[in-house]
Amino acid sequence: MRALPLRDILAHKGAAFQERYGVQVPLAFSDLETEYRLIRDKVGITDFSYMQKFRISADAGLDFLDNLFVGNVAKTRFCRVLHTFLSDPDGNIIADCYVANNDEDFIILCESIVDDQALREVFNKNGAAQAGLQDLTDTHVVISIDGYKAWSVVKELFGTDVLGLPYLSIETYPFEGKNISLLRAGKTSEFGYMIMAPKELGARLIEVLLDKAQKYEGGICGIKVHDALRLEGRFFNIFAEGARVRDPLTLGLQWMIDFDKEAFIGRDPILRKRQKGLANKIIGIKADVSASGFIPGAELFSEGKKVAVVEACCLSHVLDSRLGLAVFPVGIAYAGLKFNLGKFGGPTVESISMPPIVPKSLSVKLDEL
Amino acid sequence: MDSAMKAIIDKRVAVINPIKEGLIKHLNLPYKPEDLHEDISLFGAGLGLDSLDALEVVLCVENCFNIKIPDNDPSILRSINTLADYVLEQKQKQAGVQ
Repeated sequence: MRALPLRDILAHKGAAFQERYGVQVPLAFSDLETEYRLIRDKVGITDFSYMQKFRISADAGLDFLDNLFVGNVAKTRFCRVLHTFLSDPDGNIIADCYVANNDEDFIILCESIVDDQALREVFNKNGAAQAGLQDLTDTHVVISIDGYKAWSVVKELFGTDVLGLPYLSIETYPFEGKNISLLRAGKTSEFGYMIMAPKELGARLIEVLLDKAQKYEGGICGIKVHDALRLEGRFFNIFAEGARVRDPLTLGLQWMIDFDKEAFIGRDPILRKRQKGLANKIIGIKADVSASGFIPGAELFSEGKKVAVVEACCLSHVLDSRLGLAVFPVGIAYAGLKFNLGKFGGPTVESISMPPIVPKSLSVKLDEL
Repeated sequence: MDSAMKAIIDKRVAVINPIKEGLIKHLNLPYKPEDLHEDISLFGAGLGLDSLDALEVVLCVENCFNIKIPDNDPSILRSINTLADYVLEQKQKQAGVQ
């Protein structure tokens, strides 16, 4: 099992750890609502070093990357980040990825539901060595800064320049005499940034970030709270609905795919499924906090007939409700319908429009600050 | 499917389909309507539209449904579904007035 470079520091700060696909990840530091409020109202610092990280030169790597990922890497402009995914040969998702065009090279950050070795094998089988892919998974850290006040923290660290960064962009900044990469990204629907840095800088980086975050009453978070934040913001979560459903079309990830590309792993099965037409679709659902049994795998009923299965869920503190995603037949995959949880006459579950919350960050216009 | 459920779905489909077709046509998106999930984010992640595209979306929906979208409420434009919610709400208000 891979231990993160900052493991001891995080343990000292009270992290509870759990294994996720071969990596020991910091799950939480305090109760989930406290961490949730940090990100929704202030700023949370989270160690995302569990991600698999790679670098490849732009010249040698473009064709290699374009033949791997479902999205169009060749059309990704300088300093922009492509949000795409990696499929297996059967057309099922295995990794949710950012591919950043960092001028002379591409940086690839992956959240995957296979372990490091299995992911490396996918890359190696497709010519990673010939293309010169560098594996930075063990040599670099990734720290995520998320929240309503996240921009204040990165502004203090790198200057007002960062306020002009659009969502899904990358820039290089100096830190302690070395270059580090800053991505404007994030999946919480509040402001989000990710910093990738050599692991020697990791301890100093997280201390500096926490110090600055504390000025805004922010603090450290684990990755578990991000499951709820992603669901509330209707960001795809490979560790929740992604791992359970696997089919990118049922998951609604068509926007990540360039269907006109001639080659990517899983292309033919994905195109065949698209041509055949969608049978099922994942949509948002909501239930009262008191609805027991609102968990992944729970069944939803309409007129006594099973019609859907819950694939992800969380407690939304903003809505004071249980939120979830469930896979329905396309004919009834619409918001505004009522179902029963678990059995005929069970607690009411309503299909809803997503995202159901309006994040505080939506009220801030960074370019006008 | 009971008639109440069918009525809700029909009403929603009547709004969602023109929105999808309008988005594809006016923004020249390389997708079929069935490729666009109703919860897909229109800006930032998802379709990644910009402020000029936002103007196109607003004009397209206003013309299609004969409603006005306020320019001070970005929450309406978060996804096709949130846009559809707003259209349905406005149409219901219009029906109430008439």
